[in-house]
Amino acid sequence: MKTRALFTIAALLAAPLALAHHSAVQFDFTKPVEQKGKVKQFVAANPHMRMTLEVTDAKGTRDIKFEGHSTNNMYRDGYRKGMVKVGDEITVRIAPMKNGEDGGYVLGVGMSNGEYFGARSTRSVDAQRAREVAESK
Amino acid sequence: MAESLFQRARCVGAALFALSTLAAAAAPPPDLTGVWGNAPGLPGGSGRPEAPKLPPFKPDAGKRVAAFQALVAPGGETPGQYCLGHGMPGAVMGGGGYPMEIIQRPDQITIIYELHGETRRVYFGDRNAAQKDRIPGRGGYSSGRWEGETLVVETDNLTEQIDDRYPHSDQALVVERYSLAGQDAQGRRLLQVELTMTDPVFYDAPVKVTRRWAQVPNGRLLPYDCNEEIWQMRLEELASKAGVPLP
Repeated sequence: MKTRALFTIAALLAAPLALAHHSAVQFDFTKPVEQKGKVKQFVAANPHMRMTLEVTDAKGTRDIKFEGHSTNNMYRDGYRKGMVKVGDEITVRIAPMKNGEDGGYVLGVGMSNGEYFGARSTRSVDAQRAREVAESK
Repeated sequence: MAESLFQRARCVGAALFALSTLAAAAAPPPDLTGVWGNAPGLPGGSGRPEAPKLPPFKPDAGKRVAAFQALVAPGGETPGQYCLGHGMPGAVMGGGGYPMEIIQRPDQITIIYELHGETRRVYFGDRNAAQKDRIPGRGGYSSGRWEGETLVVETDNLTEQIDDRYPHSDQALVVERYSLAGQDAQGRRLLQVELTMTDPVFYDAPVKVTRRWAQVPNGRLLPYDCNEEIWQMRLEELASKAGVPLP
């Protein structure tokens, strides 16, 4: 539990959380986009990380949930515990939802201090690799 | 005189052949111990090898597999999303770039796949359990032998899996033939497996796949805790319903 607590920077209690790991079929890995927001929750976990960002854009301000690679793959792509903290302003590169709804599959995370984890390669390679990883689960 | 020399040469040749045969027979098998990861650029070397061209299913099997796939298709759900490992033969094909570790002893080879922490134990000779004592499961029971420098692993006692990329019945038999396959451009040893699955209940023809890995120098597997997340999310759900902070 202590270990879990290290990874679970904060837990969102506002809404019930059902088991919500998704497959890759709902994400569009061919059109990665960037989204900025404030971290409200970040959980490094297997099989998928999950993150909630408070995002403000043309649609207004709201919380958006994301998921992404496993802890193991994030670790190999540069993630280390403590890199993402609640309240951090970050930029995530995501494979967006195919249906246009909020959310997406996190390909990379850039912190305001310049730190980054995730694949740094070209967008197409990044997307291909992400899709391979996501579909392998 | 000429005939005598010829006979001597034949004798020497035969002796040399016998010696080389003995030497080959006595040569230890290659040591596959180590961590093995993707071999990019090589056939079967990616994080997600091409799905094999499965032979046609037998009618009943085909109906059941189709029904399963229709059931999960809307969400694209897989066992792995629920922290259930691939089992055999899916574990061998792996995915996502997760490496595997081989620990080799004369009487047992242990293979650990980082993804889901799946572990296989391949027993040799007298280490094998009697057939009646083998417990069926997704990973089945694996016994091994060396044919020269080729490791041959036979896996039986599988349970039916219609939820795998390689669907099969509990009558499936998987044979893997592992051999070292030279080095890649970085000088890393390459390992390949030719996998054949036969299943008289699901297929009329064998399923054949080839997979390749490159050795990871000083590689280490990472722990892959997965069930913990399901438990954590359940706790968060309980806390939310109770209207209390997560303890």
